[in-house]
Amino acid sequence: MESLTKTYTDLDRAINEVRSLSEEWPASSEIVTLDDETLHCTCLVLHEWIANLHQHARFQKNTPMVKIQLTCEAGRVACFVLDNSDGFDLTSYLPADDEDLEPFPERGMGLRIIETCTDELSYAPTEDGLHCFEFIIPADHDPWMNTLF
Amino acid sequence: MSFDAETASSETVIIHVGEALDFRNADDFKATFQEHVDEGIRQFILDFSDTEVLDSTGLGSIFSLYRAVSPDDGKVAFADVSEPVQVVVQLTRTYKVFRQFPSVEAAREAFAG
Repeated sequence: MESLTKTYTDLDRAINEVRSLSEEWPASSEIVTLDDETLHCTCLVLHEWIANLHQHARFQKNTPMVKIQLTCEAGRVACFVLDNSDGFDLTSYLPADDEDLEPFPERGMGLRIIETCTDELSYAPTEDGLHCFEFIIPADHDPWMNTLF
Repeated sequence: MSFDAETASSETVIIHVGEALDFRNADDFKATFQEHVDEGIRQFILDFSDTEVLDSTGLGSIFSLYRAVSPDDGKVAFADVSEPVQVVVQLTRTYKVFRQFPSVEAAREAFAG
């Protein structure tokens, strides 16, 4: 099992560095090797999530903080992102299964992309007052969205 | 950040997307293409050769471009699509709408012909 942990107090920097996590993350080892598509999917989900925090989360007087931990297991990526925002009820923002997007939407695709790319998605408060976003991306996942056109 | 736009012909403009098209510069992208749409351009080639990030807001701004030109039979093509962008293209199936070319030159030739 190979893990990478990063902590940021600047969300812009976190977003900029997420795109290159796959380069420094030992996702390929004697035990497990992940394909590039899974790595790019992981980077995309992390980008969308931190962008979501950047644009919509309330951090009160706190300096925004995110801690990312990526773990490469056999056949999948497991990830959590801790943050010190006020949090929110993720399930109330996720689109219903029968809710269609308007054609060629300009907004509202971020959480759909996250939901489509991931398994076992959750966002919940922790015992120490933070919030934790967790997800899994199976390496054999072939995600696609069916509501855009 | 402004985007590098190159006039390929009287009908076609190439926009070099650069490293990222995301929620932080999507409005700049829209301002860039709108200037050319206002001048009557209806064919756009998006060069993704150096692009490491295309997020949902960036994709939404490309949809905005498509909505601006499609009523006049305009076209938006993707050229030299990088791996991270290809993941978004496959995930959202945008290849059904935006024709892809292996290079900017190939897209330019297709639009000229």
